[in-house]
Amino acid sequence: MLLEVRDLHVEFHTRDGVAKAVNGVNYSVEAGETLAVLGESGSGKSVTAQAVMGILDMPPGKIPKGEILFKGQDLLKLKEEERRKVRGAKMAMIFQDALSSLNPVLSVGEQLGEMFIVHKGMSKKDARAKAVELMDRVRIPAARERVGQYPHQFSGGMRQRIMIAMALALEPELIIADEPTTALDVTVQAQVMDLLAELQREYNMGLILITHDLGVVADVADKIAVMYAGRIVEQAPVHEIYKAPAHPYTRGLLDSIPRLDQKGQELYAIKGLPPNLLAIPPGCAFNPRCPMAQDVCRTDVPPLYEVTESPVPRASACHFWKECLHG
Amino acid sequence: MADLSKNDEAVAAALDVPVQRGEPILQVRNLQKHFPLTQGILFKKQVGAVKAVDGVSFDLYQGETLGIVGESGCGKSTVAKLLMNLERATAGEVFYKGQDITKLSGRALKAVRRNIQMVFQDPYTSLNPRMTVGDIIGETFDIHPEVAPKGDRRRKVQELLDVVGLNPEYINRYPHQFSGGQRQRIGIARGLALNPEIIICDEPVSALDVSVQAQVINLMEKLQDEFNLSYIFIAHDLSIVRHISDRVGVMYLGKLAEIGTDEEIYEHPTHPYTQALLSAVPVPDPTARANRDRIILTGDVPSPANPPSGCRFRTRCWKAQDKCSTEQPVLAIPERFRGQDTLAAHESACHFAEERDVVHAG
Repeated sequence: MLLEVRDLHVEFHTRDGVAKAVNGVNYSVEAGETLAVLGESGSGKSVTAQAVMGILDMPPGKIPKGEILFKGQDLLKLKEEERRKVRGAKMAMIFQDALSSLNPVLSVGEQLGEMFIVHKGMSKKDARAKAVELMDRVRIPAARERVGQYPHQFSGGMRQRIMIAMALALEPELIIADEPTTALDVTVQAQVMDLLAELQREYNMGLILITHDLGVVADVADKIAVMYAGRIVEQAPVHEIYKAPAHPYTRGLLDSIPRLDQKGQELYAIKGLPPNLLAIPPGCAFNPRCPMAQDVCRTDVPPLYEVTESPVPRASACHFWKECLHG
Repeated sequence: MADLSKNDEAVAAALDVPVQRGEPILQVRNLQKHFPLTQGILFKKQVGAVKAVDGVSFDLYQGETLGIVGESGCGKSTVAKLLMNLERATAGEVFYKGQDITKLSGRALKAVRRNIQMVFQDPYTSLNPRMTVGDIIGETFDIHPEVAPKGDRRRKVQELLDVVGLNPEYINRYPHQFSGGQRQRIGIARGLALNPEIIICDEPVSALDVSVQAQVINLMEKLQDEFNLSYIFIAHDLSIVRHISDRVGVMYLGKLAEIGTDEEIYEHPTHPYTQALLSAVPVPDPTARANRDRIILTGDVPSPANPPSGCRFRTRCWKAQDKCSTEQPVLAIPERFRGQDTLAAHESACHFAEERDVVHAG
C-alpha cells in the first residue's frame, strides 16, 4: 500500500470554538491508482490532503488523532526535517489556482530549477536544463525560449502545466491534485486532465484527485470517497457508485446535477445547507437534510457499514444503506 | 427516432416551452464593443483595440431563456453589460420595444433599466456588506419610487424575500449572516424588485456548491413561470445551460459561432467549436468514458486584440482549409441544410458545417 490514512482527525481552534474539520477519515491509494475525493466546500477534503502533505497551518490546526502511513511509515511521527525530505521528493501537490501558487517575481525556470538545487544539490546551469526538459514533458511549446518568462506571461492552462511539471520534477510516487482544473475552461480542462492521466500511467504514480465535480471524477477515477462534514460517507469503485449510490447524500448529489445528454424536468435539490463545522448535528451529520432520516439518525452516528467486500471494498455511513441502494 | 421526437414534444409541453414565439422583446443587431489599447502617458495614442464583442446579433422572446455559453474571454459578460448599457457599445443596436438602448441616456435609460435587471455571479461581492438586506433590496425603490410608495416598501421587501424562499424576518440582517446560496437569493430578489420583463444572469450559480446550485436553478425556473420573465443566462457550464435554456448561443472570440434551440445545439451541433466544447464536458457516467467521441483541442484561445483572419476558430480547428483564413463565415443556416426538415438546419458560422453527435456515447 502506497498511502494509508487511518482514523485521521483535524480540528481548528478558533475564537468561536473548535471547528472539527476532519472527523475520522480512512482511505488508501496504491501505486498507479486514482482515488477521487469528492465533497462540497467545508467537507474536509482539502484539509485531509494538507495533513497528508504536512502543509497544514499548526496552530490553529491540530491533529489530535490518526495515522498517515506512507509505505508503512507514519508521517505524523517524523520530525519536520525528515518530513521535508518526503515532501516534494516522494509526494507532491498540485493546487487549484496556479497564478497565486506560483511566485510572480521569479521566472518559471528558476521556480522549476529550485527543486533540483534544493533537493539534489545541482548547479544553477544544470537545474535550468532540467527545467526545460520538464516543460517539454508537460508539452509547453517552445520550452527553451519560455523558460525565462514569468508566470503572468503564460495562459491559465499553461500555468497549470507548469504546476504539474513542478510536482513531477523529483518523480514522486504520489501526487495530490486539489481541484486541478476548476479554474480552467472546459476545452483546456480536458487537455490538462489528459496530460495528468498520461503522466500517471507513465510513472505509475498514485493520484489523489480532490474535486467537487462529479463529471471529472467519472472520467478519470478508479475509486471514489465522498466526504461530508469531515467524514467519508461513502466509498466505492467508480462504476458502482454512479450505478447505485448507497448513501442518500451521494444519491442527492447525482440527482441534483443537470445532464448534458438529456433535458430533464425539475432538478432534484438537496434541501438545507451544509453544516457549520463548529456545531455538527448530533447523530448522522447529514440527517437535517436527508429525505430518509429517522429517529435513529438523529441520535446515533452511523459507522461505515460494509456494503460489499472484494475485490474493491465498498462502504456507506448510513443506517439505511440497504434501502438507499435498492430504492 | 419518431418515438424520441414524440417524447420530446411531451417534455416540451410539460415544461411549458413557448412554441409560438410572437414578437421578440429584445433585438440585438451587430453589437460591437472595442476597448482601445493605448500607448504613452501624456499623449495617449491608440495602438489597437481589444475586440471583446465583434458583431453579435440575436433575438430574445417573451418568456424564454436564451443561454449564452463560451470560454473565458469570449465576450459573454461584455454582452451582458452592453445589454444593460453599463458599457457603451462601439457600434450596433439593442432594440427594446422599438427603442435603441445603446443610444439612450438620462431619464429614458433609467426607465428602460427598470425593465431589464441583472443578477451577478459573485454573491459575496455584489451585495454591500454595510447595508442590511432590507436596504439592499429597498434601494431599488429609492431609484424608482413609482414602483412602491414610501410607506409600502418594507412590506414589499418582505414579500420579495418570501418569494425567493428566505424568511421575511431576515430583513434587518447583513449579507455576511447568510450562506452563498442565500445571498444569491437576495441578489435575485433585488433583480425582481421592479417587476422587470428581462433578467440578465451572468454566471448566477457558478460560485455555489453543487447541492445548492440545484436549489437556485429551480427557484429561477419557478420565478420565470410565475412572472413570465425572459432570461439571458450566461454561463460556462454547458449542462446547466442546457437544463434551463430554450435556445442557446455559443460564443467564440467576440462572435456567435452557432445559435439554435437547446436540442439543435446539443444533439445536432454543426460548428466544430460547439462540437469540441460539448465533447470536452465530463459526463457523470463512468460507462460513457470509453465510448464517447472526444475532441481535444490544441492550444489556447487567441488574443481578442489580434484575432485570426477569416474564421476566428481556424487556428484550433481540425477542419480548417485555405478558405477559412481568407473568408469570414457568416452566421446563417448552412447551405447544405437549407430548406431541409432537419434539426441541423440552424444558424452556424462555419464554411464546412457538418452534423456530429458528440454528447451521446457511440
